[in-house]
Amino acid sequence: MADTRAAAETAERGGAEDAQAVEALPPEQPGLPPSEWIRKNLFSSPFNSVLTVAFGLLALLIVRGLLNFTFSEERNWDAVRTNLRLIFTHAYPEEQYSRIWVCVGTIAVLAGLSVGLAAAETARRGVSVRKLSSSLVAMGATVALGVVLREPSALTDIEGRVRRDDSGIMRESFAEAMTDRWAWWLAAAVLASAGAALWFGFGDERRRETYVRPVELFMVGSAVLVLSGWIYPWGHYAFADGEFIAEPGRTVAMSTKLPWTVIWLLLAAAIAAGRSMRRAGAGPNFTLALNLCWLACPFVLYWVVLRDPDLDWGRVLSVDIPLGVLFAALGGAVLWLLTDQRIGELGRIIATLLMGVAVLNWVAGFFGWYPMLQKVRLSFLLVALAALVAHNFAGERSKRLRLLAVWVALMAVFHYMATLMNSPSTVETPTEALIGGFSVTLIVASFTLLFSFPLGVMLALARTSRLPIFRVMSTSFIEVVRGVPLITILLFFAVMLQLFLPDGMSISLIAAATLGYTLFSAAYLAENVRGGLQSIRRGQYEASDAVGLTAMQRTLFIVLPQALRVSIPPLVGQVIATFKETSLLAVIGAFDLLRMANNVIPSQTQFLGVKREGLLFVCLVYWVFAYAMSKHSQRLEKRLGVGER
Amino acid sequence: MTKNKSLLWRALAVLFCISLIAASCGDDDDDSGTTQQPATTTAAAATDDEPAADTTTTAAADVIENTQDGDLLATVMERGKLHCGVSGAAVAFSETQPDGTQTGFDADYCRAVAAAIFGDADAVEYVPLTAAERFTAVQTGAVDVLMRNTTWTQGRDTEVGMDFGPTTYYDGQQLMARVSDDFSNSSQISDIDGAVVCTNAGTTTEQNIADAAEEAGVSITLNTFEDFDIVTTNFVQGACDIVTTDGSALVGRKANQEPDDQEWVIFPPTPISKEPLGPTYGQNQSRFADVVNWTVYATVIADEKGVNSSNVDAMAANPPDAEVGRLLGGEGELQSAMGLAPDAFWQVIKQVGNYDEIYSRNLNPVGLTREGSANAGWLDGGLIYAPPAR
Repeated sequence: MADTRAAAETAERGGAEDAQAVEALPPEQPGLPPSEWIRKNLFSSPFNSVLTVAFGLLALLIVRGLLNFTFSEERNWDAVRTNLRLIFTHAYPEEQYSRIWVCVGTIAVLAGLSVGLAAAETARRGVSVRKLSSSLVAMGATVALGVVLREPSALTDIEGRVRRDDSGIMRESFAEAMTDRWAWWLAAAVLASAGAALWFGFGDERRRETYVRPVELFMVGSAVLVLSGWIYPWGHYAFADGEFIAEPGRTVAMSTKLPWTVIWLLLAAAIAAGRSMRRAGAGPNFTLALNLCWLACPFVLYWVVLRDPDLDWGRVLSVDIPLGVLFAALGGAVLWLLTDQRIGELGRIIATLLMGVAVLNWVAGFFGWYPMLQKVRLSFLLVALAALVAHNFAGERSKRLRLLAVWVALMAVFHYMATLMNSPSTVETPTEALIGGFSVTLIVASFTLLFSFPLGVMLALARTSRLPIFRVMSTSFIEVVRGVPLITILLFFAVMLQLFLPDGMSISLIAAATLGYTLFSAAYLAENVRGGLQSIRRGQYEASDAVGLTAMQRTLFIVLPQALRVSIPPLVGQVIATFKETSLLAVIGAFDLLRMANNVIPSQTQFLGVKREGLLFVCLVYWVFAYAMSKHSQRLEKRLGVGER
Repeated sequence: MTKNKSLLWRALAVLFCISLIAASCGDDDDDSGTTQQPATTTAAAATDDEPAADTTTTAAADVIENTQDGDLLATVMERGKLHCGVSGAAVAFSETQPDGTQTGFDADYCRAVAAAIFGDADAVEYVPLTAAERFTAVQTGAVDVLMRNTTWTQGRDTEVGMDFGPTTYYDGQQLMARVSDDFSNSSQISDIDGAVVCTNAGTTTEQNIADAAEEAGVSITLNTFEDFDIVTTNFVQGACDIVTTDGSALVGRKANQEPDDQEWVIFPPTPISKEPLGPTYGQNQSRFADVVNWTVYATVIADEKGVNSSNVDAMAANPPDAEVGRLLGGEGELQSAMGLAPDAFWQVIKQVGNYDEIYSRNLNPVGLTREGSANAGWLDGGLIYAPPAR
């Protein structure tokens, strides 16, 4: 099995075309004819027939209710359309908006490269043309059904108010309603005929053998959307210089359609680039670099691009750089000393002492005992932390040098980030927060995941450790955090954290909330990972001991890869939960996506009390992202073969 | 063993060096603008010299005292921006517009205070706060002043540790019902017997209506909902006979959400509670408090004397009476004595407007008018009154 896979990989690297790899797949098995399928699956017995009819009717009623709600003349969708900028970025200044697009573009390029590089794996799991064409026909039929199901529109007067008579709202006749909705009929017809064209354009054999990748479907779908921005009159709704603008007949504003077009092109180019790189054989190395880019992406995008820090170069040159170099050098010296094999147990004692001094120094900051840059205190703590793990790298020169290199890089990154964070931002907003709305949801979610993942793994390892001190500390942390509701933790961090910080140090609401989310999420992640750790059989440990691996090597290369692979489904569940839980930010007073729809928009004089539209839109946004994540995790599971063993 | 010993010494030396470096760095780039003496600090930390360490500690303590209990006005002036706590989601009082800007009655008073202090009404950083966190924000110094629909009560003034400026808006709890249920503008609490009354949970409105009903000897069914949008929806659909909250909110709802087939009325004419709303700041900051209070008074006096943003230049050049002259900085040193520029209130009127302008601009669109309410000037039978500027 392993041999064939390796052979296939070398064959692909040898320059085999993607299309060939796709065509080599076995054709999809022919399905049952529709009538047969319906009889067998929906009406197999009298009882099942009753169930099918009853629940089918229920489903139709629900869909009808949702459609009537969404398209009712009483809905004021202008509230959402006008406030899109508020919903996504809050008060981020318009003249700096190119920074937002740079962020979106960067993410698009990274995503495109990742998808392109992973194309080999996804090629196996495309959608056959046969399935695609029947799906398109089904979508057309669904749209048509929706058009028929929706109740006739209400009649409105010139001012757009719904007309009423004694019996209630006046509605147009059914025939009028059906003819008024010609655009929807057209959409249904286009979908269905596209499906039919695909079906008849390919022969029976070819439509079962030809596969289309999900990413290609996505690109076609998004291209249709982006193109519609140039052609279809979605309308132009905005707020500028204190005036509300509503121009229903126009296409969307240039400041919306142009960036999205560019981003679509970037994405397409990045996918193509990723594919050609994979074909050129740059796969594994490039994937590593790409993953590092993904890791750095939230930090760089937030602190460099969005905030555009106003660096005081005099200070950077006179304080920040010398400080970073000094700590790199001094810490390096300490580490070099402690990785000396002759130092033995004494090294660990020195490291522990160092840690004690560093912690004392940190605590001193709380009382303002002697003034010192926070950065220095933190760097000192980092030195002590690195010293504590130094004995693991004792021995050969190359090993010690590697630790030193990691240390210097760590210091450079830490001092760079600390300088960025402490520099004031050049982006000026009328409110205190730099950014809000959906952006803050994304920022909090991504930083939470980034920080809580390693923390969770460490907690899980500590909980299964043989050292009682680690076990007890980790267990008590996990149990305390899991025993307290998330909203309580968030309120605690939002309100109380400020009082626990050293003098002169302040933390923003978003940062405090991220910290709270991180601790909470880490406790749950730790339990998921611990489940994975427990599934690893003793033989694995014994075997790795037998080949002479150290404890760290065993954990990193034998135990964790297997444990994490097993825990993918619960981990993804946790990731999605964390993403959705960011809506609790609204409760602690941050202006996140939910708060925009629930409080801010309904309190604008123009849209007073218009809340349901915004909430429905927010639901849609959350759903799109959560569904995308869940789909991605399904692919990840298949790729890693979870549940097939 | 000797090898180990020499290693130990080397390690200790490195440690010593680190502590030296660590101690030699001055205070962080945070708000305290004082510079420490790096040399003395190094000596203190490195040699553990007792007296020297003591001096450093006292110096640090002094710095803290200056920034935290020092003069708030000086701190604000040095910062160059006013941190103003608002709701961010209060109709007509502080609304967040689609481009993120803040508008409204409260937001305008933030701008007025900024205009008085800096001569620039835009030098405001709005801090949107929830009801729960507003007082903590003042106590921790996250905001300088709250313009956030905060009712002036005895408990908040004393126990919570807030100080209140002059009331800018006299609000009061009222009820709203349908005309079809035989209610009119002159209905009284005694008329609501047996009605289903709805309000939002967790506020004093709930207690107020229960007390008022008990006093009038009527029995009501009180339903509370999470927020007032849900209350209004229930009222529109008929699940509630009566809704109750502050009058200002009811008027806004009536203007914007009254369906075509219903007619709503607001009663009783005299509200069932007193809700004086105005600026709020931390205790014992009299210089800053004076600035906020007199900014509000300046808008009121300007309204009384007929000075508004369009005629303020003419008025300043040619004051109709001595008080206007003093207010606009023509004669006397009243503003200078407060630590402001002589033309501070001229800037307020010029850039933001007088009380009537601020009121009309923000509250008229939602249907709130000054005539006949407590918010009319004292000459027109209202409560808006300012001490003389002299």
